[in-house]
Amino acid sequence: MVSAAQTKFGRLKGLTLREIFGEAVDKATIHSDIPKEDIQAAFIGTFIPEMLVHQGHTAPLLIDFAGMRGIPATRHEAACASGATALRSAIMAIESGLYDTVLVAAAEKMSSVSTNKATEALAAAADDKFESSMGLTFPGVFGIAAVSHMEEYGTTEEDMARIAVKAHKNASTNPLAQFQKPISLEKAMDSRYIAWPLKLFDCSPISDGGAALVLTSNEKAKEYTDTPVKIAGTGQASASMNLCDRAHLTSFDASIAAGKTAYEMADLGPEDIDVAVVHDCFTIAEIIASEDLGFFEPGHAVDAIRDGETELDGSKPINPMGGLKAVGHPVGATGVKQIVVIYKELLGEAGKNQVPNHDIGIAHNFGGTGASSVVTIMRRYDA
Amino acid sequence: MKDKPTVEQYLKNIENGDFKAYKCQECDAVVAPPSGACYSCGGTDMEWTSVSGKGTLVSYTVIHVSPDEFVDEVPYYVAIVKLEEWTSVTGRLMGFDPLKPEELEIGMDLVLDYHKGKSGKTYLAFREP
Repeated sequence: MVSAAQTKFGRLKGLTLREIFGEAVDKATIHSDIPKEDIQAAFIGTFIPEMLVHQGHTAPLLIDFAGMRGIPATRHEAACASGATALRSAIMAIESGLYDTVLVAAAEKMSSVSTNKATEALAAAADDKFESSMGLTFPGVFGIAAVSHMEEYGTTEEDMARIAVKAHKNASTNPLAQFQKPISLEKAMDSRYIAWPLKLFDCSPISDGGAALVLTSNEKAKEYTDTPVKIAGTGQASASMNLCDRAHLTSFDASIAAGKTAYEMADLGPEDIDVAVVHDCFTIAEIIASEDLGFFEPGHAVDAIRDGETELDGSKPINPMGGLKAVGHPVGATGVKQIVVIYKELLGEAGKNQVPNHDIGIAHNFGGTGASSVVTIMRRYDA
Repeated sequence: MKDKPTVEQYLKNIENGDFKAYKCQECDAVVAPPSGACYSCGGTDMEWTSVSGKGTLVSYTVIHVSPDEFVDEVPYYVAIVKLEEWTSVTGRLMGFDPLKPEELEIGMDLVLDYHKGKSGKTYLAFREP
């Protein structure tokens, strides 16, 4: 990986999907001294522009707007994991020898519809016939997971609120974040219920934003930068869409399987990870992901949170820039944005959000009810 | 009842207040909601079966912010319920105060019922026996 960039996340008034996408691409190419002419193919992530901005067939439209008309451009859709699945296809395309240099870019424009309409669009990532059709929403899906985790391990609403407090604290020094104000534990605890036991501050917001990466072969990387970031491992898995078909609700099988594949490919384990970005669409999701990736034993992530281990300066920093929770969650773009975070952290370019040890990082991106999960492990060029 | 079960008919049965699950013809496992392949053996030959209607509460939530379609029904319960036949389904919970969700107990006994919502749809629902 020789370049990685994201746009500002938030309610980007006056900007359309294509403009947000174009800005992300420009930041990852021309602003990073990578000529667009070198890009041989584009792997694009968007989740549901059909419902959010009434536009399908986004790949050619977006790549044309970004000034690269003519190259092969393909959209990848895996709900919230759309971005990371686009990245995986790019990795496979380079590894196959088909291309040397490719673009991974993703964007979502969500603020153009009402909150209820956005909730409905997001619900399309769950099973329409058997769950969302009876009014189960995404906060509801994770509310159910939270209730199971609380029952099994004694996790509390306050534990979840601590994740929100950490996210907002980290995002307060991230100029590209949607929310840049720290919040108190009381404020998080006093917020209204969205899907009991999850409150407003347990939920990631509705956001617009884009992110882009340039990947190239190992041979070509030094032509672009002296400090490329290596992709050490990638894993992906699927699981049942319906929660009712799961054997358990306190962990996500697809995340465990994707993590296992990525760790094996990288020949690394959870103990080797210096910095992690996990899919905290809801606070409980960060707790479960950090257990599914093996950082903590099931039920013990909350101990680490209470002890500050997952803070920026802790022994296992998680979501150092503020996560989906406080940076924002433009669904299709999130998986690529997460990679941007790890890229910056590994290179020591994360400014006030820099973690102390940064040889190896991991990104965990999952889609919908956890029916898709992608895990990516990255190493600094000299690590 | 000899017809090959379909998703459309499964949903119609709920709408008509006559819930039926699938049963795998290979291994007799009860499967609901419908799946193209049996959870237990992978078999794809299914037939209809009736269920006792008895189940236990696996987990639940109370929806306060919903899509437009359900906005007149909030706050409402959605729960995962494990049927006596060892398959789990998602349904509404009726007869409980949605503002006192902490009073419910995981593992409590429930019975299958139906609820016609303000959305006009009939939901699979569960209530206390």
